[in-house]
Amino acid sequence: MIRPPNPDLDLTISRIIKAPRSAVWRAWTEPRRFEQWWIPAPARCKVVAMELSPAGSFVTQISENGGAFMPHVSGCFLAVDSLERIVFTDSLLGGWRPSEQSFITAVITFKEHPSGTDYTAYAMHKNNADRKMHEEMGFYEGWGTVTEQLAKLVEQQA
Amino acid sequence: MAQYHEQLDSVFQALADPTRRAVLGRLGQGPASISDLARPFDMALPSFLKHIHYLEDSGLIQTRKDGRVRTCVIEKKPFAAVEAWLDTQRAIWEGRTDRLERYVMAEQEQEHKK
Repeated sequence: MIRPPNPDLDLTISRIIKAPRSAVWRAWTEPRRFEQWWIPAPARCKVVAMELSPAGSFVTQISENGGAFMPHVSGCFLAVDSLERIVFTDSLLGGWRPSEQSFITAVITFKEHPSGTDYTAYAMHKNNADRKMHEEMGFYEGWGTVTEQLAKLVEQQA
Repeated sequence: MAQYHEQLDSVFQALADPTRRAVLGRLGQGPASISDLARPFDMALPSFLKHIHYLEDSGLIQTRKDGRVRTCVIEKKPFAAVEAWLDTQRAIWEGRTDRLERYVMAEQEQEHKK
């Protein structure tokens, strides 16, 4: 079912973590633990929703410089296979409701490994421009094309 | 990383305006004087100059004065930042994986001590 990666839009991070799979799974799936590592300190993370089943809501918030908590990830779990796999996207919200923003689908896999856990994060992106950033700033549709065209013009000139 | 994001922000902000996009599009074809750049726009020169200053402040263009003519040139570097967005995403996921690993390892150590 998983199709080959698109090198322009996808990335894969793999790591052997020297700890039992159950410990890595717990760090991912228990909100109080998840909050400890999802966002780099000193920014703080708050898990608003982590409903670990297909269609379950996945919502995190971020607080920077001690400020108010602001939206970070607003998405939906697509698959949750205990100890094995977590798939989420921000193109849907809880209950499969279409989201305003769509940027990523991530597939996190946890495999047994002689040294511990073989952990992989595979992220598929919608397009090669940070659409979220664009929407936060209220840009009009099609800005990605403009950026691409400009980049091309700049390259031609060089 | 913060600096990198600031640069991206300023690029995207500069691109948010149609006049500035048009100016960048024109400069992508080669350097041009401010009067040549201003010609297609139905806009008072001081207003147009504000856009030029905005682009210059955000590092997207450079201007130089040759006698009485001010010429604008596009600056390539900021666009490389936009193109490198996948690297940014990779860095974010690398960071997350690093922190997850550290967190789990620390937790394991705690448990072994008990």
